[in-house]
Amino acid sequence: MPLRRLFAVSSVLFLLVLAISPAKNALRSYRSLQRQYRKLAASRAHSLKAAQGYAARPVAIQQIWLRDFDNRVDRCTTCHLGVADPLMAGAPRPFDLHPGTPHTPGGFDRFGCTACHGGQGLATTQIDAHGSSADAGPPMTPPVFIEAGCGRCHLSESVAGAPVLSRGRALIARAGCYACHAVRGQDEFRSEAPPLATLPLKTGGEWLKRWLKDPKSIDPNATMPNFHLTDQAIDELSHFLFAAQVPKDLAGRIEAAGAEPPGSPANGKKLVSESRCITCHTVEGKGKGSAPELSKIASTSSRGWLLAFLREPQAFNPRTRMPRYHFTETESRDVVAFLEDEFRDFDAPKGILEPLRVNQSLAENGRKLFRLYGCFSCHDPAGSGSEKFGPELDGIGDKRAQSLDFGRRTDLARTLPAWLAAKLESPRSFADGLKMPSYGFSADDSRAVITAVLALGAQSVPDRYRYAPPQKPALLPGGPVGSLIQSYRCLSCHLIGDRGTDVSTAALTYEGSKVKRDWLVDYLVLSYTIRPILEERMPVLKMPREDAMQLADALLNFYVDPSIPDDPFAGRPASDADSAEGQRLYVGLGCRGCHIVGSSGGYYGPPLTEAGRRLKPGWTYAWLKGPQRWRADVRCPDYGLSDTDALRLTAYLETLVPAASPAKSEKAARGVK
Amino acid sequence: MRFRTAAPALLVFLLLPGACARKPAPAAAKTPEAVKTPAAPPPVRYEVRLGKVTFTHYCQTCHGESGAGDGFNAFNLDPHPRDLSDPEFQKKKSDAEIADAIQRGGAGVGLSALMPPWGHTLSTRQIDELVLYLRTLPALRKPAS
Repeated sequence: MPLRRLFAVSSVLFLLVLAISPAKNALRSYRSLQRQYRKLAASRAHSLKAAQGYAARPVAIQQIWLRDFDNRVDRCTTCHLGVADPLMAGAPRPFDLHPGTPHTPGGFDRFGCTACHGGQGLATTQIDAHGSSADAGPPMTPPVFIEAGCGRCHLSESVAGAPVLSRGRALIARAGCYACHAVRGQDEFRSEAPPLATLPLKTGGEWLKRWLKDPKSIDPNATMPNFHLTDQAIDELSHFLFAAQVPKDLAGRIEAAGAEPPGSPANGKKLVSESRCITCHTVEGKGKGSAPELSKIASTSSRGWLLAFLREPQAFNPRTRMPRYHFTETESRDVVAFLEDEFRDFDAPKGILEPLRVNQSLAENGRKLFRLYGCFSCHDPAGSGSEKFGPELDGIGDKRAQSLDFGRRTDLARTLPAWLAAKLESPRSFADGLKMPSYGFSADDSRAVITAVLALGAQSVPDRYRYAPPQKPALLPGGPVGSLIQSYRCLSCHLIGDRGTDVSTAALTYEGSKVKRDWLVDYLVLSYTIRPILEERMPVLKMPREDAMQLADALLNFYVDPSIPDDPFAGRPASDADSAEGQRLYVGLGCRGCHIVGSSGGYYGPPLTEAGRRLKPGWTYAWLKGPQRWRADVRCPDYGLSDTDALRLTAYLETLVPAASPAKSEKAARGVK
Repeated sequence: MRFRTAAPALLVFLLLPGACARKPAPAAAKTPEAVKTPAAPPPVRYEVRLGKVTFTHYCQTCHGESGAGDGFNAFNLDPHPRDLSDPEFQKKKSDAEIADAIQRGGAGVGLSALMPPWGHTLSTRQIDELVLYLRTLPALRKPAS
């Protein structure tokens, strides 16, 4: 009897154990979700047939298999059933339609889900797929950082449709993160930090100590981060920096300049305002801020250094973005006299610019600190060898939270974004002896930077998924013209092909096909503001006329586009009737909404009062036929003009030449500002 | 007798799935949620965000940051740009009508030519996103001071 009972119990148990597996499968939550979806979709369907189609859908695991994308398999659509179904717009999660993006709903077959969202594509339970389970792989990217997904394939700094990612990448470049952290494709990166060789003749011990304490409190535009140094470390570093040998040539220039008689501040003031320093610098926070704040510059730098630097900035810092202004000796003295008069820190102690008397043993300790904190990464990259100072960042976006060292930060959520945010906010809080400085990013900036960092995957995506915008040729002439372009630092504001910076919005790539020579020479000699809306304005570089002519000829010969016709009228000059018709079009199309002609019009595009003197007709025509071809993000709308209409408008704009002498018209144009 | 055997078996049967189910990961629940993660902004639909980028780039100069028709170029324009955040205006116009006006411009829909046609510059998707963003403007409107 007991034996029989035991047999009965064990057989029942055996059957039960056998039943576990099918039971588990039958109870999987995706099954009930799929049944719910069938009902919901059928109730939303527009026709009986469609409703029946939905109702007849089998309950089964769905997947997207991307054979040429690392053999990815994404089963997300097992629960997210309506992502590609317009009928499910506004339905509750997980049945709702995916928002429209450049890759959805058209691109599910090509991109799947995890390529952008991260998470575990193979999993079929929510907790595993979303990665919230401890033993799953890296979790999904939180929606705030979703543009990190774009950055896996889109490698350029600026990515259309991904503003947060683009901003993050720009912030990283400006902060100079790549100087210490290796990242694929950034091997050429060099920090903009100045060389420190002339520092002993530039500033004083007191100023340097204040600077090292917290650079941003001295200059809000500073890119140098706060290293949280102790007073002793600051002292030792200062002694080391003041022990540097100033190169003889530069030392001679600084000393000679310091001994020159003072100039006229009144004239200096005039020169400073017409030189448009605030296109790059700020004065009490006003201006663009890509270069140092000027309002206390005379308490930062000695008079001799300022004067010698102003005369040839590139001799002091070969990588500076500052152009060389052709001030006369007297004019540069006047400029510095004005800076000394007005732009000083009136609260600073008297001896702020007193040089430091070097103590060799302190300086020796300072040398060690200079290496210890990796200062060389930015200030002397040549002396650092090929090894980067900080850990490489490639792959950080795929790190699992369990592999991160949270150290003392037990208060943090155990997630990668939280770890990164804390690393940016207070990098030293994780453990003792860490060296990463803090950058003072705002919460918004920090989110953008984290987005860009999360885009750094462990592996690069397959070639056919990688996207970088097509390279534009960027040839720079050598010889005398090349050195003129260098010395006036045209590329600090203008683009030529892919080289340079897009501050001015007017790339020089096709400049030779665009403007007429006489105008260009006059403009280079005495620049004015073409687009009054821009804060950044072409500085008056005091360019000698010979330089201007040489540059203009080079631009006109070199930077042309063969598809822009010299003569759009093809030998049949436009008649008066054509230009009258063009004027009618100008009014009818509403061009005056953005452009000024004469005394009226909008402030958005460049004034066209002297379009006929400035622009070549071939360019005007090519522009009118499709402005976005010449600048992808330009606001000037493409009106879809016919050839005839574009030619008529061109003919009209050709007639717009200043009636008075060129000198007067320049003044008139300058009055527009 | 038979019942006595079956009852525990049934109990085991009922308990088994529970015992086999995977334990929910406690990690996420236990840690204080996102102590130091930057405060997330309120979620905005992706299309709306793209629409805002387009608006800021192309429209803001005349229509103003909030769409009230007070962009800094507005004062050079006669007639002034439309107050797009006006709930009355929004009620009157259908999405298709707004998209049409963007596409064909003022002149295309019998209004001022100072509003240019964007149909050759922006894609239909961009225009649709723009309309979605415009629909959010009345809610963002500051109370009249």
